[in-house]
Amino acid sequence: MKHGKYPLLAAFLLPALGLYIYFVISPYAQAFYISGTDWLGLSDTYNWVGFDNFVRLAKDEYLRNALWHNAVLMVLLPVITIVLGLFLASMLNVGGGQGRVRGLPGSGLYKVIFFAPQVLSVAVIGVLWKELYNPRSGLINGGLRALGLDSLTKTWLGDPDVAFWAVLAVMVWANVGFYVVLFGAAMQSIPRDIYEAVALDGANRWTALWRITLPLVWDTVQVAWVYLAILALDGFALVQVMTRGGPNFSTDVVGQRMYDVAFGEFKFGEASAIGVIMFFLTLSVTVIALRLSRREKVEFS
Amino acid sequence: MATVTYAQASRHYPGTERPAVDKLDLEIRDGEFLVLVGPSGCGKSTSLRMLAGLEDVDNGAIYINDKDVTNLPPKSRDIAMVFQNYALYPHMTVYENMAFALKLRKTPKSEIDVRVKKAAQMLQLEDYLNRKPKALSGGQRQRVAMGRAIVREPQVFLMDEPLSNLDAKLRVQTRSQIASLQSQLGITTVYVTHDQIEAMTMGHRVAVLLDGVLQQCDTPRALYDTPANVFVAGFIGSPAMNIKTVALTDEGAIFGQMILPLSRDQIAKARAEGGDGKVTVGFRPEECELVSATEGGMPIVVDLVEDLGSGANVYGHAAINGDSERFVVATDRRTMPNLGDTVFVKPRTDHHHAFHATTGVRI
Repeated sequence: MKHGKYPLLAAFLLPALGLYIYFVISPYAQAFYISGTDWLGLSDTYNWVGFDNFVRLAKDEYLRNALWHNAVLMVLLPVITIVLGLFLASMLNVGGGQGRVRGLPGSGLYKVIFFAPQVLSVAVIGVLWKELYNPRSGLINGGLRALGLDSLTKTWLGDPDVAFWAVLAVMVWANVGFYVVLFGAAMQSIPRDIYEAVALDGANRWTALWRITLPLVWDTVQVAWVYLAILALDGFALVQVMTRGGPNFSTDVVGQRMYDVAFGEFKFGEASAIGVIMFFLTLSVTVIALRLSRREKVEFS
Repeated sequence: MATVTYAQASRHYPGTERPAVDKLDLEIRDGEFLVLVGPSGCGKSTSLRMLAGLEDVDNGAIYINDKDVTNLPPKSRDIAMVFQNYALYPHMTVYENMAFALKLRKTPKSEIDVRVKKAAQMLQLEDYLNRKPKALSGGQRQRVAMGRAIVREPQVFLMDEPLSNLDAKLRVQTRSQIASLQSQLGITTVYVTHDQIEAMTMGHRVAVLLDGVLQQCDTPRALYDTPANVFVAGFIGSPAMNIKTVALTDEGAIFGQMILPLSRDQIAKARAEGGDGKVTVGFRPEECELVSATEGGMPIVVDLVEDLGSGANVYGHAAINGDSERFVVATDRRTMPNLGDTVFVKPRTDHHHAFHATTGVRI
C-alpha cells in the first residue's frame, strides 16, 4: 500500500475536488473580483474601481437598514425558536408525568404536525402565509372577524410596523418543527433513570427541565444556535416571496438588498460587494458562535 | 424510620396476559433489610418501582408507615433509590450530585455541606467531591449513588441491582459495605437482585418471586432449610438442589435402588390431590456424601468435576426408572473422583426435602 498510495487517493479525491473548485470556490473568487469593478451585468466592458463599491456601501442607508433587520433576526430567531423548540420537545418527550418518563398523550401526532412545515419548500411556505396574511380573504383576519375581534385585524404584510414581525413569525413557524425533532432526539438519548432519580430527588417538571434536561442537551442547543444564526443572516427566499423587502423597506434583508441592487438597478459590481460583506459576516458569526459555545462535553455513564 | 406494607399490590401492563406483579402481600419492618430476589422477569424490579412511585399500582395499595402512598408522586414518598446504572447527573460534580436533593428541599447550605461531607467520609469519597462522574471508576460511581441516597436521610432506601455493574471481586467487597452501612444507619431498605448469594448474605429476610407471585418470604436460613416449594428449593443454594420427581412407595421415594424415607404424614400428603403415585424429592449437593459401593448409595457416572480450591463440585448422571437423570454433589477435594468414574451418592439422613409432585408445595 505504501507505493502508489497517492495516485490511488488522488483518483478518489480529484473529481470531487475539481467539482468543488469549479462550482463553489470559483464563484466566490469571481464575486470577490466583480466586487472591485463597476460591472453592470449586461455589458461586456467594465472598469476596475478598487474599493469604491465598499466605500459607497459603508454610507448606504438601505444596506444599513437591511443589516439592522438581519441583526434583529439573528437575536430573535434563535431565541424564540430554541425556547419554543425546547418547550415543545420536553412536553413531547419527558413532560408527561411525575416520575414516569414519557411525553404528553398524543405526542406522536403533535410531532408530525410540528415537523410538517419542514417538508414544504420555502417558496410554498411564503405563498401559503401570504394568503393567510391577506387582509381581505386571509384566514387570520377572517378568523379574527369571526371571533368578533375586528379591532385586531391588520394589513399584516402591508403595514411597515407589523410586516417584519409577521415575517419573523413565519420563519419561526417554518423552523421550529425541525428543532423540536432535534431536541427531542437529544432528550431521548438521556437515560430514563436520570429522570427517575430527579423525580425521586423531589424535582418538579420545571426544575427537571431547567436543571437536568437543559444542561444535558446543551450541546444540541449550541448547534441549533449556530444553524439559526446563519439562517437569520439569510432570510432572502421568504422575504422575496412574501414582501420583496417592503413595505417601505421594513422587511428588507441583506440578501434582498443584494438582489435588488443586482437585478433591479443592474449594479452587479455593487451587488457583489454586498455578497462579499455577507460572506465575511456569516464567517465571523460562525467562528464567534463556535468559539463562545465551546464547552466541556457531557458523557453518560 | 419506617415500615413498608404491600397490600395485594398488583401491576398489570396493558397488552400482557398476566400481571407483572400479582397481589403482592409483604410487610417490611422498621429498619429491616429486605431482599427481593428472583429470575429476570419475575416482577422484583417492578415491585420496587411501584414502591418508589415510578410504576403505577393497578390494584391494591402500598403503605409507608401506615400512610397510603399508592397514588402519591415519587417526590412525596420520602424515599431514595440507588439505580442499577447509578443514574448520576453527568453534568454535576460528586458534591453537586449528592447535594441536589437537599438543595431542592431548600436545606440550608451549611447543613448540606455537613451532610454531604459526612456521607463522603462514610463512603471514602472525600477526595473525589469535585470530580464529575465520568472521571470516576465503576466502584466510585456506585458509592456516589449510595451517597446521594444517604444524604437524603430518607424513610426508605430502595436499591435496584446496585452491584450488577461491578466486577466480581468488587461486588463481594461492596456487598458487605452496603450491609454494614445499612445496619449503621438503621434505615429500612428494600434491595432487588437476581443473585441468590447477594440475597442470602445481605438480607435480614428474603422474598423470592416468580412470575409476579411471591413464593416465600423468610430469613435466609429458613429459605435454605425449609423452602416452601420446588422453585424456592431450586433457586436458593449454589450449586442448585438436586430435585427429581420419582415413584412413591409406603416407605418413601425410590431413587433406583436407593429409598429416601418419608414420614407417614408426608406420604399421605404426597398422595392427596392427584399426586399420581409420585413425589418430588430434593437434596442439596452439599448435604450428601460419596460412599463406597456397599453402603447403599446411588451409583452416578461422573461427567464433570469443578475444582473450586476449597472443595469440588461433581456433576454426573444416573439411570433412574429408565431415564438418565443429572446430579451434582459437593465434595471434599481429597475424595474428588475422576471423569468417567462411578461414585455412590447418599444424601445425609433427614436432609432431603419432599414436595407434592404436581403442585410443587412442600410436604
